Amino acid sequence: MLVVLALCLSALFVFRENPRIAPLRTIMIDATATVYEIAVAPRDAWRGLTGYFQSRRALQEENGRLRQENLVMQGQAQRLVSVLAENSRYRALLNSSELIEGDVIVAEIISVSADPVRHLLVLDKGSDQGVANGQALLGAAGLMGQVVTTGATTSRAMLITDSTHAVPVQVVRSGVRALVAGVGDIDQLIVRHLAATTDIRIGDVLVTSGLGGRFPPGYPVATVTDIYIAPGAAFATVTAVPLAHLDRGRHVLIAQYAAADATVTP
Amino acid sequence: MKNAHARWVIWSSLFVGLILYVAPLPLSWRWFRPELPLLVLFYWNLALPHRVGIFSAAVTGLTLDIINGSAVGALGFGAVISTLFILLNYQRIRQFDTVLQSVAMGLLVGLALIIERWLHGFLGMAGTGLGFIYSLPATILFWPLVRNSLRGLRRYYEVE
Repeated sequence: MLVVLALCLSALFVFRENPRIAPLRTIMIDATATVYEIAVAPRDAWRGLTGYFQSRRALQEENGRLRQENLVMQGQAQRLVSVLAENSRYRALLNSSELIEGDVIVAEIISVSADPVRHLLVLDKGSDQGVANGQALLGAAGLMGQVVTTGATTSRAMLITDSTHAVPVQVVRSGVRALVAGVGDIDQLIVRHLAATTDIRIGDVLVTSGLGGRFPPGYPVATVTDIYIAPGAAFATVTAVPLAHLDRGRHVLIAQYAAADATVTP
Repeated sequence: MKNAHARWVIWSSLFVGLILYVAPLPLSWRWFRPELPLLVLFYWNLALPHRVGIFSAAVTGLTLDIINGSAVGALGFGAVISTLFILLNYQRIRQFDTVLQSVAMGLLVGLALIIERWLHGFLGMAGTGLGFIYSLPATILFWPLVRNSLRGLRRYYEVE
């Protein structure tokens, strides 16, 4: 019995960061994804069935709606190109580094991690498709999280609401920088270490600041919902709600982002 | 006699418990997810202590660690400790009435989870608070169901 206990304890240390067993870890991550896939198989079968019997008219309507949406998006994208060019010229004028936007990978959410206190998603893309640890996870409405473990064909991402997660952000209105941390609640975030005199208001939108080089800057993260300044306290208690629909939707974008000066070492 | 010991029933019930455990639930419902794999493990510990013991507990715990993406070995350690407790007291726990037995199982699952979190803290993984105890009421409520269905299986397949 002591042997088994000792084995468990040593596994704790061996499996943590040891590069020698990285291939084994990859295999394990993919194997767990298989378990998750078996668990969601009935749901997927039902979805496939209902999708198969969806009426032609419903599909045509959806197609028409998507066409319109696509047209609007394309129009906006054209403007975006010119704005980006303009922006990079300004950045050059200001002598600040040019931002390099990488590609994005579309991944499907296989499942949500079973452990209730951790907010992890199991995704169907892995290192074979170019996913790597630390890449940002984006939803339609904002930042969702980041990739934390990568298998060969699957990966796991931590949501911004996980109580061990934090994102460097900036208030759009005033430019104040802050850190947004999760509290383990799917619809709540906390803005940490803001002095009581900071210019922040309810309704302010927080976007990623790009500091730290991990998240691409400018993506919306949360809106401020509540500010409480306790008399005499040095810091304000600021809570926010995530903008991304963390518990909805089936597809996410994984952004392959590298800041232009990410190679600079201190 | 269908099969020598029908041990496959034990392993497949653990696997089914695992599958049901990871079955998709909306994020906000996750607090009511019973710790099914641990309950199945503890049932077999109680019913066949000579067959399912420390080693099975370690395998189940390690699998759960890998599934949950937590530190590999943390829940393995916790499950082994809880199983040890059952192996030392199985005759007494078997005599408990249903309510008391359910609460005892809830406490044992809680013990395994507390040890897991404690080891996490020990490794410097950020604490997630006492949130895990929210799953214990569901675990306690599920115990009679798990026990009765597995007992039926055990008798039908004559697992020894």
